[in-house]
Amino acid sequence: MDIPGKISLTEWSERFEKIPDEEIIKYRYYKNKDWGRYLQPPATFYIYGARELKRLKLDNSFAFLRMWGFVFNESERLFRARQVGKKVIAVSGDLGTVPVIILAFPDAVPFYPECIWWTPFFNESKVLLEEAHHHGAPEAACFSKAAIGAFSKMAYFPKPDLFFASTGASCDDYSAALQIIEDLGFEIEWLEIPYRKGPDYPERAIGYLSTEYRRVYERMADLVGKTGDLSSSIRRANRLRGMVLEIKRMVRDAPVAPILALEMMVVEFGNLYGYGDFDEWIDIVDMIYGTVKERVESGIGVLARDAVPIAWITPSADPYLLNLVEDLNLRVVETEYVINQAMGLIDDDDPFQALARSFMQASLIGSTREQVARIRRSAAAGKIKGAIITTMIGASHCAMETGLIEYWLKGIPVLTIDVPAPFGITRQIKTRLEAFAETIRAR
Amino acid sequence: MGLIGYTCSYIPVEILGATGHRPYRLLHGDPRLSAGSDRWLRVDACPLVRSNLSFVLRERKDFAAIVGSTGCDMARRLLEVVKETTEIPVFVVNLPRTDRPDIYFDEIDDLLGFLKRIDERRLKEEVEKWEGWRDYFRELSGKRSRFPSQLSTRTLQRMVTGYHKGEPRTDDFDPEPSDLPRVILLGSPLAYESGPLFGLIESSVRIVWDFNCGISRFIEVKIENHNLDGIKKAYYNQPPCILRRTNQDYYDSVKRRLARLKPEGIIVLTLDYCDSYEFELNRMRRVFDLPFLHLRHDFSFQNWGQLRTRLEAFKEMLV
Repeated sequence: MDIPGKISLTEWSERFEKIPDEEIIKYRYYKNKDWGRYLQPPATFYIYGARELKRLKLDNSFAFLRMWGFVFNESERLFRARQVGKKVIAVSGDLGTVPVIILAFPDAVPFYPECIWWTPFFNESKVLLEEAHHHGAPEAACFSKAAIGAFSKMAYFPKPDLFFASTGASCDDYSAALQIIEDLGFEIEWLEIPYRKGPDYPERAIGYLSTEYRRVYERMADLVGKTGDLSSSIRRANRLRGMVLEIKRMVRDAPVAPILALEMMVVEFGNLYGYGDFDEWIDIVDMIYGTVKERVESGIGVLARDAVPIAWITPSADPYLLNLVEDLNLRVVETEYVINQAMGLIDDDDPFQALARSFMQASLIGSTREQVARIRRSAAAGKIKGAIITTMIGASHCAMETGLIEYWLKGIPVLTIDVPAPFGITRQIKTRLEAFAETIRAR
Repeated sequence: MGLIGYTCSYIPVEILGATGHRPYRLLHGDPRLSAGSDRWLRVDACPLVRSNLSFVLRERKDFAAIVGSTGCDMARRLLEVVKETTEIPVFVVNLPRTDRPDIYFDEIDDLLGFLKRIDERRLKEEVEKWEGWRDYFRELSGKRSRFPSQLSTRTLQRMVTGYHKGEPRTDDFDPEPSDLPRVILLGSPLAYESGPLFGLIESSVRIVWDFNCGISRFIEVKIENHNLDGIKKAYYNQPPCILRRTNQDYYDSVKRRLARLKPEGIIVLTLDYCDSYEFELNRMRRVFDLPFLHLRHDFSFQNWGQLRTRLEAFKEMLV
């Protein structure tokens, strides 16, 4: 086993040269032997446009090399899916439940347009955001508006065969962005998200959601001309979620951080839809799981032993921030990336009801108190010494919940950072991070 | 008798009134007031929500309960802050964005359960009372829509303030005929304190119709059957909020009014950070295809000179 560490793009390229060819060609998406290769040195994706990779430090393990190759290959994969006759299904707004239904159908590939919000940051380019502004998105709004730019340009994914978008008791920015996308000519099947009135929400909410999920299933069955195996896709989703829960547990409890926060975030977001090739993603996460376990059992990791544990609330659109925090000897051990609905296991009773129950755990459909309850418990138990909230100017939930989050986490230092536009992290932000780290260490 | 606050056009005022408390729509828009919400809300929260929270925190003893909806995210979360920081009982109606009347009807049943002290006889009396007031305001609004317009929206807004505060006035007024260019008003909610803004706008143009919460949107609700079922259907089927998905019906509804009222232009007032309307501005320009003026504001008077100049320029374009 290599000594775990953080390496640069150049170092990865040097290491990649030592990987045997037979290893490189072994990993393929859609299990296709002719053209499904995705293992590349990260520098390849830098050349393709992901300029921020030059500034990032990445985990040096083979498992994460495989992960980055797969994640950055998604655009190619989606166009290839269309080319070979698979059905490409856009899913928006629910972050994690509808794809389980899509994956019940063979040759159906889901993707989340809003996840393209990382692209302007990886690419250090405002092209997608400016395109969104051209179509009416305000400057002060969630970076998920990049999806408008992507739909306008149609260069990042093919035109979807179906488009399921959830709306309701969730954030307004993305719902408004979706309305623009529909106006661009993309037909949307809207799904209703109910509001969770506390942990004892009315049982009928399950009925509302089940009705919506049955509609998704029926539309998919009509599209592909056959029925899907929902029980099987729930089992696969649970296998993935189970592994990720265990990885998260190891990351939280290990004396030394076994992996970096950026890689952990990418793993967590994989729960949403397996980056469109669920089986391959499960294999990748299985490999990551093995790497993490091995490191934990050996008592080694990627950060210093005295790194201070913190929580991260709301995902950062700019991955660089996660690196910066670790450079200050902080370590992310708890996260609340507004995807709680994709993290827990799904029951194995009536599949539609089970999916509905799973979704009712969603981060953004209930109260802020519920959203940060787990983080509060960790703070009370002394497992985290501070928390970082990353927000966006103008995003509806950020403006309203930040004060409440700070209130619920009183007792530990909390730093709120408005994530700036691409390539916009200033000395001022770095100074604030440094002051935050000093405050925590001084306690 | 205490106040029973509410935040959304989909909350039936008749049901609130049947509790014996005075329905009071939270429509405060005073920047000086907003500072009281700084402890909880960021500066990029909706100015209306910030003012409303400050008002509720200041006047908390007056409120018997507050009823809100999931209509817009910030308004929904306002209720959460109220719940966490005061003793005021709070109820949030899960207002569906898609066409799901079943969800709305169930929620109204739950609202009755939350409010408790409501019987059918009382509900019928409330429907007749509020429907009578809406008839009065429909007639008034009709006067401002005439050719030429006989009533300013400034005057109408002053009078509907009583409706929103649960104490409608039915004063006499002198006709205010105007041959200024006819415009319609769309956009974010307006506040009790917005009167001077209407005065400024109507020094250049005459607003002959609006579809804004806080002005005359409530008159679109017409209850045919004076019972709970009638209330549910009338409120659910009112011309839709722009937040509905899809919101094509909103556009169709406005286009029908344009055809009837023949305005020469459209003014859209948006509050800072009001995604619901700001994301829609391009589409509005294209779909309505009339001279279009977008004014962004935060209820303050800081940019009045600029607003006046833009309004004058808009007027020149129309004539």
